[in-house]
Amino acid sequence: MLLMLDLNDPRPLHEQVTAAIRRAIAGGEVAPGDRLPPARDLAGALGVNANTVLRSLRALRDEGLLEFRRGRGVSVLRRPDPREALRDRARGLLEEAAKYGLGPDEVADLIKELS
Amino acid sequence: MNMPRPPSSPAPRGLFTAVAVAWTLLVAATLVALPLALADRLPDPVASHWGPSGEPDGSLPLVASAAVPLAVWVVAAAGGLAAALRRRAFPRAAIRARAAAVLGWGGVFTVGLQIISLGANLDRARWQDASGIGPPLVVVIVLSLAAGALAALAARRGGDDTPPPEAEPPVRPEIGLDPGRRPVWVSSVSAPVLLALGCVMAAAGVLLFAGTLAGQTRRPVEVGLVLAFAGLVVIALSTVSVQAGPEGLRIGFGPLRWPARRVPLDRIERAWVEERSPLDVGGWGYRGLPGRATIMIRGGECLVVAYRSGGRLAISVDDAATGAALLNALLATARP
Repeated sequence: MLLMLDLNDPRPLHEQVTAAIRRAIAGGEVAPGDRLPPARDLAGALGVNANTVLRSLRALRDEGLLEFRRGRGVSVLRRPDPREALRDRARGLLEEAAKYGLGPDEVADLIKELS
Repeated sequence: MNMPRPPSSPAPRGLFTAVAVAWTLLVAATLVALPLALADRLPDPVASHWGPSGEPDGSLPLVASAAVPLAVWVVAAAGGLAAALRRRAFPRAAIRARAAAVLGWGGVFTVGLQIISLGANLDRARWQDASGIGPPLVVVIVLSLAAGALAALAARRGGDDTPPPEAEPPVRPEIGLDPGRRPVWVSSVSAPVLLALGCVMAAAGVLLFAGTLAGQTRRPVEVGLVLAFAGLVVIALSTVSVQAGPEGLRIGFGPLRWPARRVPLDRIERAWVEERSPLDVGGWGYRGLPGRATIMIRGGECLVVAYRSGGRLAISVDDAATGAALLNALLATARP
């Protein structure tokens, strides 16, 4: 499973990890029914604490993307719907826009101009 | 000696398979025919096991003395042949040589054992009177090893039907790397059978060790310790985690992912995927010498990395194509 951790993400670490795993599921790195690598392996690879990964996995379970099964680890239940997948990036865009003093309406205009 | 002979025809695989099957059947027939032909000159039961002193210390009914070696041979030889045929592995000379070595050695060894154990029983009234088998056993061991080596040499001739590709291109398209993102690939592979086996061995070793300390058995202390250690080694090779990232490759052994082996990115030349089976590399576990090793947990796709120093390391792992593609992408960015 290929994960991309965003190095410029200002959010707390567990949210970055959540976003990385969600992106991997959305991108088809793991399909519904597949098992995720053990949390300890994910933590080792991402260079974070195992509890951080467990927190992310629980968050994704609460979103309904993952399923925890006793003795069988964590498996993917479904892909995030497109709105969910884009929500993170839209939030990032709005935060970035706020740094330049642009509000949501102006960002929306910008998007409409582009499309 | 009737050994699997190599063909000089352009398709060595067909003849090899025919000779190997014939050899398997011939050995099987000999194993059954010997005790049957000598039945009226043998005691029943016959001595079937000899202690370190050279005296017989175990016996089997005559029928079992024919059936047990036969079963061992048929399961080993036919099982190995069937696995290789199903995988269409015999076009490769190296695999033919290995199969021939095992068949040649195994056939001569089982038949040799049968001959010397029946010979020791020949014309004796009771199995306890059977003679020792020490010196002939050495001869059988030497002969069988020689037979294996000869068979391997013979089967290697004829070369590969089709030369195996030196490097298969990764199945996965190139991975685009974003400098603002840290890419990591996480995968693992496990063999539950090995884990169970390792646990049983370790537990038995610890029990034996404790039993020896408590004076319950007269076995030397080392037996328990060695068994427990072997169990730990099997557990360590029952599951492996493989991770790739900007630092390189990390392989963690066992359920604790420790010990671990790291291969820094700058030592890697490139990575690709190969299909390998335990038959190709000589079994499960850590196979081969450092520089050409395979960590074989299960047959199938393996991640192979070539070192810049010329060596190679292969690990059987799921999703190896992604790992190989990521390593290649990281290498391409590291040295444009």
